[in-house]
Amino acid sequence: MLMAAKNQFRVCFLSIKYNIMREMINKVTFLTNIFFMMLNNGTFIVQWLLLFQIKEDIGGYTLDQVMLLWGLAACTYGLSHVLFQKAFELPELIINGKLDSFLVQPKNVLLSVITSATNSSAIGDVLYGFVIMCVFSFSFGRLGLFILFSITGAIIITAFSVLVGSLSFWIVRGEMFGTNLTNILISFATYPDGIFKGAVKFILYILIPVGMTNYLPVHIMTNFNPLFMLTVLGYMVMLVIVALYVFYKGLKRYSSSSLMVARM
Amino acid sequence: MRKYAVIYKATLMENMQYALNIALGFISYFMMIFVFINLWDYIYSDSSQLIAGYNKEQMIWYIIITEMIWFGTRSATITREVANDIKSGQIAYGINKPYHYTFYILAKYFGEISIRLILYISLAVIVGVSFVGGLSNFRILYLPAIIVVLILGIIINAILKLSISLISFWIEDSNPFQWLYDKLILVIGTIFPVEIFPRWAQPIIRCTPIYVVVYGPAKLIVDFSMEMFFRVLATQLIYLGIAIVIMLFLYKKGVKKVNVNGG
Repeated sequence: MLMAAKNQFRVCFLSIKYNIMREMINKVTFLTNIFFMMLNNGTFIVQWLLLFQIKEDIGGYTLDQVMLLWGLAACTYGLSHVLFQKAFELPELIINGKLDSFLVQPKNVLLSVITSATNSSAIGDVLYGFVIMCVFSFSFGRLGLFILFSITGAIIITAFSVLVGSLSFWIVRGEMFGTNLTNILISFATYPDGIFKGAVKFILYILIPVGMTNYLPVHIMTNFNPLFMLTVLGYMVMLVIVALYVFYKGLKRYSSSSLMVARM
Repeated sequence: MRKYAVIYKATLMENMQYALNIALGFISYFMMIFVFINLWDYIYSDSSQLIAGYNKEQMIWYIIITEMIWFGTRSATITREVANDIKSGQIAYGINKPYHYTFYILAKYFGEISIRLILYISLAVIVGVSFVGGLSNFRILYLPAIIVVLILGIIINAILKLSISLISFWIEDSNPFQWLYDKLILVIGTIFPVEIFPRWAQPIIRCTPIYVVVYGPAKLIVDFSMEMFFRVLATQLIYLGIAIVIMLFLYKKGVKKVNVNGG
């Protein structure tokens, strides 16, 4: 059992490694993508500097806290897209019957699928996240928590994407629906939760898990609370289990399109 | 000109079949507006307060309009498709046709966004009226002038984005430059009106495409004046001329670099 898990992780690690190496074939494009993505994210600092000129606190956040929120959002998004890019393209694979080649592999289907591609520009998001964290609110303890929550956040976003992407097994327009839900998650992730009220907050913490990927971790990093930390970890485990269940339940309905594809 | 009208019509007819897909994209637009309504609600202590000369109603309407332009005119036709045509050599099939490749792409693009833009305008009006209420300064009389600057702004934006895609003749991936242009428009132009920026930055921003693509049309809708209309229109005409020259120059230079190896 332990050996099988170890082998599975080794396969995933190698898959991710070769994905990144493939992206690095053209070094100039690879580096330009990363650099420009960092620059691209950096433009949003202007937005927040302007907003904080108008009002001293926004949704109960200071500028440093908003930057920490931004950094964590970039890092979780980046990490999930570097490691599990195909989780965000799952509906397309399901609708077009492109899962065949993964089904015949002697390893876990879902892990093989989601680790089969990477997004090189997302490396820029990860780096940007760490730079922002270090510039605006560095401490060794916070850096440790930042790394931990980047990982939990990336797993939650990926699980959420697998969950909504798997709806394509049942719904024809599941593709658009899933993409929209993932976009919503990203839209909310960079704005303080204090500006939202009532039922919206409930939705953001439970249904669209931006509260668990970003808001609660930022509260923990500014004011440590072990109970909140357990909540994030528990939510992550629960969401992963639900995503796995829905994916494999849906996989039973999958029908191949007899598409001949070469995976390179 | 007739051949481009035919391309426009054909793409328009094709895209009418996908109205449901467009409608599903409304969710992202609506959510973005929802976030900003909450943000400005928090920032404005009361609805009569003025920030950079805008009251809360005008500020939210400004963002509803600019985001409508942003979401309603997005298309891969002038960005990814052109870049892919160049990278893959597929452009060779476009060069030898009896039309100019860039104008063909623009005709196709406008055929694609026409329906979407109309749907987004309708949605923007519904969202604005339901969440913010009507605009007190707006008069139907201003509509023809607003439509002119709105269309000109969209044309300029399309030409500039197409020109950026043409950079693919020299570098493999023009996407990073698209991101930067998009962020310039999105962060500086869409989220805030120019007046919110520090005084020293305002003349610089007024010289950028932001002024003609998003700020001009949105400002005229929330606070119309004839003087402002003529100023925006004049700037748009200058920008249009420059943008066309840049696009044709890049295409003329770039197309000489195309090498076709069999196929």
